[in-house]
Amino acid sequence: MRPVAQPVAPPPRLPCPALVGAAAGVVGAPVRPSYPDRHERLVVTTRKTALLLLLPGLAFLLVGFLVPSLAMLVAPPGVGTGEVVARVGQMLTDPYDLRIIGRTVGLGLVVTVVCIVLGFPIAYLLARSTSRWSSVLLALAIFPLLLSNVVRTFGWLVVLGSQGAIGKLLVGLGLVDRAPQLLYTELAIVLGLTQLFLPLAIISCYSAVAQVDAGLDDAARGLGASRSRTFWGIVVPLSSPGIVVAATLVFAGSVTAYTTPYLLGGSSQRMLSTQLFSYSSVTIDWAGASATALVMTVLVFVVSGLASLVARKGATQ
Amino acid sequence: MSQTDSQAPALPGGPDQTDGQPRALPGRPDQSSRPARPRRPARPARAPRTGKPVASTLAVAGYVVMIVPILFVVATAFTGGRTLTFPPQGLSLQWFEKAVAYEPFTGALVSSLQLAVLATLIALAVGVPVTLAIHRGRLPGRGLIEGMFLSPLIVPELVVGLALYQQLMIGFGLANSTTLLIGHTALMMPYAVRVTGASLALADPSLEEAARGLGAGPVRAFFTVTLPMLRPGIFSAALLSFVTSFNNVPLSLLLQSRDFRTLPVTMLDYVQQSYDPMVAAMATLILVATVVVAVVAERTVGFAQIFGGINK
Repeated sequence: MRPVAQPVAPPPRLPCPALVGAAAGVVGAPVRPSYPDRHERLVVTTRKTALLLLLPGLAFLLVGFLVPSLAMLVAPPGVGTGEVVARVGQMLTDPYDLRIIGRTVGLGLVVTVVCIVLGFPIAYLLARSTSRWSSVLLALAIFPLLLSNVVRTFGWLVVLGSQGAIGKLLVGLGLVDRAPQLLYTELAIVLGLTQLFLPLAIISCYSAVAQVDAGLDDAARGLGASRSRTFWGIVVPLSSPGIVVAATLVFAGSVTAYTTPYLLGGSSQRMLSTQLFSYSSVTIDWAGASATALVMTVLVFVVSGLASLVARKGATQ
Repeated sequence: MSQTDSQAPALPGGPDQTDGQPRALPGRPDQSSRPARPRRPARPARAPRTGKPVASTLAVAGYVVMIVPILFVVATAFTGGRTLTFPPQGLSLQWFEKAVAYEPFTGALVSSLQLAVLATLIALAVGVPVTLAIHRGRLPGRGLIEGMFLSPLIVPELVVGLALYQQLMIGFGLANSTTLLIGHTALMMPYAVRVTGASLALADPSLEEAARGLGAGPVRAFFTVTLPMLRPGIFSAALLSFVTSFNNVPLSLLLQSRDFRTLPVTMLDYVQQSYDPMVAAMATLILVATVVVAVVAERTVGFAQIFGGINK
């Protein structure tokens, strides 16, 4: 198989409109000369046609996303906006809620670091490899993205469960008397989320590394730099925009994931997402649910915003 | 990770990247012994695996975390025993038979397929015109419009699910299947807009112009010239939407009813209730179907093209 061709579109999905806009500037914007009459000849002839084309999509966007989300966040049924705000304040002071927020953010950070530490080397080796196996390995790294999260996470129940592979192995080797509690721990959540988001990290890093001219590596090496100096001095800095994107995607995914904390963390390791579900489906506490949703959304927005700031700063330097 | 790379010149902030054959940079002691030889062969001959033990070890660890749990699912699906233990006790297909005969699974599978197909078709039907308007329409605030249509990707799906449950199902009394369809369509639209948009950005406008100049109306020019150029993007968007909708948990989670349930959520509930290998069998069947989809995708458009555009 030949090496996989350069992606058509800008590398990965960017989790923030500003970022997306920045990326669209690279590829999204068609470079075409602005002849005054040119648009007359294209398929969308007038501004009115363009607006008509937008309408159906806009309707779905408003009904299926924007209006309900805003309504839920600021005014859930029977609950005033003030109550939601008060609830958020309560969440930020209550030790139990703070522990949940802390766990969500903390595990998100750990997963982000682990995904970059494991994913970047994979991306680097694949992008620089001349082996014909590299495209197979790349496909193997992307494939899990198509696979259901339930299926992927379920595997850890078999691996980590009390009757699972690791427990049996440790007991069989005589290292422990009883299988240690691995499931329903923070370690289990980190493993599960790492498995889930590593492909994302690999793709983002891969497109970044692939854009770094391998000739630069060679030049550095030829001038006497060691492999590690080339790696840290050339490859990593030049692909850092991709690393920022990867980190943002992984963090945003980790702090909002539901399936993995639910299956591997259970009720003993509550995270914001499982707490949100519990408020909205078990206790029917709309104020609590909206407050949790607000915290989660703000968290993701802040991180995406920071990432886009970093990206913009990097771009202007 | 080892911190043993003493030879390599330290760069600020970086831990090591041991390369196995550390060279002292200034001295280069071996230079005199073999003078007029290039330090290493030309690039294509470089062996990619040698000399990068840290990177290779991390890479192997990454693949183990990604792939091995999936293999365990497959292994337990074929167990002859009654519980989720490893190693599996004996070999049998009993759990596959049970899974395909278990009505909640089969019913949910049909619902999930219907939902994914419909949501994908509607998302494309409304999303492709949006793409056209954004890229060809010369509208003011183009970036803003595009950002708005991509915004469902940033808000946590669980939050959207809660919003639709609370506002549409409870507030307006919509059926959960309708709510699911609206929600999935809204969530899949960014894929249609972004991925077909990437195709459209690459499509040469002068072809359209030529068609129009030769007398084709805008509609005819679209269907005979623009649409064929968008085909790879539309295919990628369709595949991504279908797979994302079919696998979705967070958005669908709260939008379930007894009559219309989606498969991933049904499986999730089942795992919580009973600890038997039937879910492993169902998961294996999904895995096989996903491999088929992946092979088709790789053969037709190519993975990198599909996931280069957008990913979740």
